Amino acid sequence: MAILRVEGLVKSYKDSRALDDVSFEFDSGILSVLGPSGCGKTTLLRCIAGLEIPDEGSIHIADKAQTSISKGIFVPPYSRAIGFVFQNYALWPHMTVHHNVAFGLKLQKLAADEIRRRVQSTLELVGLRDYEGRYPSQLSGGQQQRVALARSIVMEPRLILLDEPLSNLDAKLREEMRVELRKLIKQVGISAVYVTHDQEEAFVISDTVVVMDRGKILQYAPPDEIYNNPANQFVASFIGRAAVVDGTLLRVEGEDCFVQVREFNNATLMCQKPKNAISGQDCKVVIRTAEVKLDSGRLNDKGNVLEGLMLSREYRGGLTDHRILVGSKEIVVTSHKLCPMIHIEDGRERIYLYIEKSAISVIAEPRPSTPRLAEF
Amino acid sequence: MAKDIAAEAAVNWRWVKLIYKQGTLIPLFASIIAGSLIIAPVLIVLSRSLTTARLGTFVGLTGENYVRVFTDPKLLPMLWNSLIYAAGSATIGTVLGGLLAWILARTNTPGKALVELMPLYPILMPPIMKNIAWILLLAPKAGILNNLLIEYFGVQGPVFNAFSMAAMIWVFGLACVPLGYLFLLPVFLSFDPSLEESAYIAGSKPIHTALRITFPLAIPAFLSALVLNFLRGLRSFETPVLQGSPAGIQVFVSRVYDAMSVDYNPGLGTAYSTVLVALSILVLLFYTRITRFSERYATITGKGYRVKAIDIGKWKYVTFLVVFSYFLVGIVIPFLVLIVVSLIPYYDFETFMKFPANMVLTNFYRVMRHPSFVTGLYNSLTLSVTIAVITVLMGIVMAFTMYRTRTYGTKIFEFIGTLPLAFPPLVLSLGLVIVFLGTPLYNTLWALGLGLFVAYFPYALRNASGSIVNIHRELDEAAWVHGARWRHVFFKITLPILKPSVAGAFFYIFIEAIRNIDVAVLLSAPGHEYGPVTLFEYFRVGQWAEAAAGGVIYLLILIVAVSVAKFVFQVKLSL
Repeated sequence: MAILRVEGLVKSYKDSRALDDVSFEFDSGILSVLGPSGCGKTTLLRCIAGLEIPDEGSIHIADKAQTSISKGIFVPPYSRAIGFVFQNYALWPHMTVHHNVAFGLKLQKLAADEIRRRVQSTLELVGLRDYEGRYPSQLSGGQQQRVALARSIVMEPRLILLDEPLSNLDAKLREEMRVELRKLIKQVGISAVYVTHDQEEAFVISDTVVVMDRGKILQYAPPDEIYNNPANQFVASFIGRAAVVDGTLLRVEGEDCFVQVREFNNATLMCQKPKNAISGQDCKVVIRTAEVKLDSGRLNDKGNVLEGLMLSREYRGGLTDHRILVGSKEIVVTSHKLCPMIHIEDGRERIYLYIEKSAISVIAEPRPSTPRLAEF
Repeated sequence: MAKDIAAEAAVNWRWVKLIYKQGTLIPLFASIIAGSLIIAPVLIVLSRSLTTARLGTFVGLTGENYVRVFTDPKLLPMLWNSLIYAAGSATIGTVLGGLLAWILARTNTPGKALVELMPLYPILMPPIMKNIAWILLLAPKAGILNNLLIEYFGVQGPVFNAFSMAAMIWVFGLACVPLGYLFLLPVFLSFDPSLEESAYIAGSKPIHTALRITFPLAIPAFLSALVLNFLRGLRSFETPVLQGSPAGIQVFVSRVYDAMSVDYNPGLGTAYSTVLVALSILVLLFYTRITRFSERYATITGKGYRVKAIDIGKWKYVTFLVVFSYFLVGIVIPFLVLIVVSLIPYYDFETFMKFPANMVLTNFYRVMRHPSFVTGLYNSLTLSVTIAVITVLMGIVMAFTMYRTRTYGTKIFEFIGTLPLAFPPLVLSLGLVIVFLGTPLYNTLWALGLGLFVAYFPYALRNASGSIVNIHRELDEAAWVHGARWRHVFFKITLPILKPSVAGAFFYIFIEAIRNIDVAVLLSAPGHEYGPVTLFEYFRVGQWAEAAAGGVIYLLILIVAVSVAKFVFQVKLSL
């Protein structure tokens, strides 16, 4: 049984398509919806909650239709039995922590001690047992966030929706909270849809990731597959620091293939074979620059070696960005140590890039590139 | 086949929308009802002005009333009177109010704290009391000041005349001071000090700097206050009727009133009203243009500068004189006159001068035994509390419908809510008189209550809209997804969060309604009196001491209301 099934969802605003034929099915666990701002991920979440009505399509929660335009079904948000954690927490400022959490239970007309028991055990769970009598304005951002979560899980919903819940916290707290959040959701044992624009957050928290752009789903896969085998150029560049270049697939040898890259002075790279590789075909070559090693001398290495000119070093403390010109393409390689400066000829510094074949993904049959993708 | 599916989807889609909206149907209906209550008298005034038929019958449209209005030889003098009166009092009030604001905000004038309570004065001193006090002071034969001058300074004959254009402008001008003050105070308080400092560095002295830099920069706010005061002058009822009509000085509002109370000709009354409404709309349009202009005046920002008071040298004695004279003439003397007159057996100059030797409470006994005053007092108390509650709640429901539910026609509600602003209260109540004539509601408290509701609804709506749009939408949505229906959202989230502004609007409308005359004067009837109207009638028939005593009773009620608002509900009341 799928906890959530979305089929053919379309939602247009005046001049844009927020959702463009979105379909997916999600069994259980934690699903992240990842994408840049304006990609439609929040609209998707609001449609699932019933806060927006799509123009077309249907949404089933636990195999029950919640929204179905063609069948004329629309279950209002108050009857969907789901949880929702808002980006700004949306804690009611005139109620104490206790009353915020108890709000939904009271509407269900439960007995007073049942309500008290459930509120207290939920607050215990999120570690806010001692804050029951406080008002939201007396809590820190992280505590407010946990109250918002408690308010949703106390209802024991089938599904909990989280709309960028960590984006208002500072960087350090955000890293702590995403681990804690995953632990909590797993502990309670409910399924969650988690919207974020931060790929690291999505990877840490979720079991499955949906990457969206401009109202379309680009890839639906577990985090490691998204990282290692991005479905297209957009996913590749959105997921991590990557250099994306055009290439031609020369030949296939077993599990490997050879790709010629025009921008790298027609250098040939050995890569893992994509699924539907055909020799002579155009493709996109994605190089995850974090996995590229730099050296100032040429080593006798059988792997891929590219020669480049060092343009600048940008020292960032723990990491250094090396801006390198390879052929006609400028790429940025980030490494933990500063690459020493030795090989200088005519005032130009030569550098070698060693690229494992696991650091390269080849995407066959590239989609036509669009202006927006080119920005990445 | 494909076409059929598409058609079916379209039909169902409408159904989906309907189901979705069912959750919010009740507030929508409530808003529609409130909207029609407001729009009815407005439409009636317009349609009625186009017929000469007796009320309850209909003989087709005619321009006859307008012909009568525009061929009235007194029309031009009347227009002229209206403009002179409104412009004169707006100028006096706004200049004085602005000056007091500058003195308080920017100078080291001694005793300037006397004007700090300015926002409270208009609340405690209803318009009719001002008129009563100033007529007692300035009346040509019986007036206190004229008699003082004749008796002690040997002046021949009366100097002042309460029943003249000059006295009308003087009394309503004083009533315009608080608005000028309240509009200009924030300007002077949030002024970027570097604008003045650079003038000092250029060698300009403080007073010169004030005249050349500070005042010119306050011009947009000054114009806004001026135009708004002008509009208030056009709409004002008490001063023209009590001080103008006895001397034959007619303005539009008093002409409309006479058309109803003397000629009893609603058609004519509505025709004059339409001209007045057209004039008001022109002024309102001008006002919105000015406010837009002042928004573009970029030098005064929202940043909270701490402005310091300037040492204006020997000029501070001049400004002290201004503050002290205003305090005395604008506030203390009218209050004192009212209280003293309420405590003497009857009013004439000799009896007045014997105070306090002849102090008695007979006036209070007399008004409190007078059935029409007691009923009026009771009605005004109960009705204004009820109307304040209903108006504020409806204002929030309509604002909630407009900004928080998925309904169409937000713009229409907004328009309906602001429509009564263009209609002087007397004209609105005229419309309601015509609506109710011949129905069982005529001459009942229901009609009166409805009149007050229509008159104060725009305020409640603007107040509620302003507050609701400031509440984050997610607070509502969080309640929706956690199982709340519209009534839970409204009563458990929206209303409690709005509590401070709800309390403020409640007290404001209560205070305005309990002393209202210009709506109630046409809608109250024997057996259904309204307190302030009863006082107004006392005064017109010469029972000045009783009128003063009734006025003091209202004063006490207002003091209690303001104290409760301030100390129990922490409401910041102003105007």
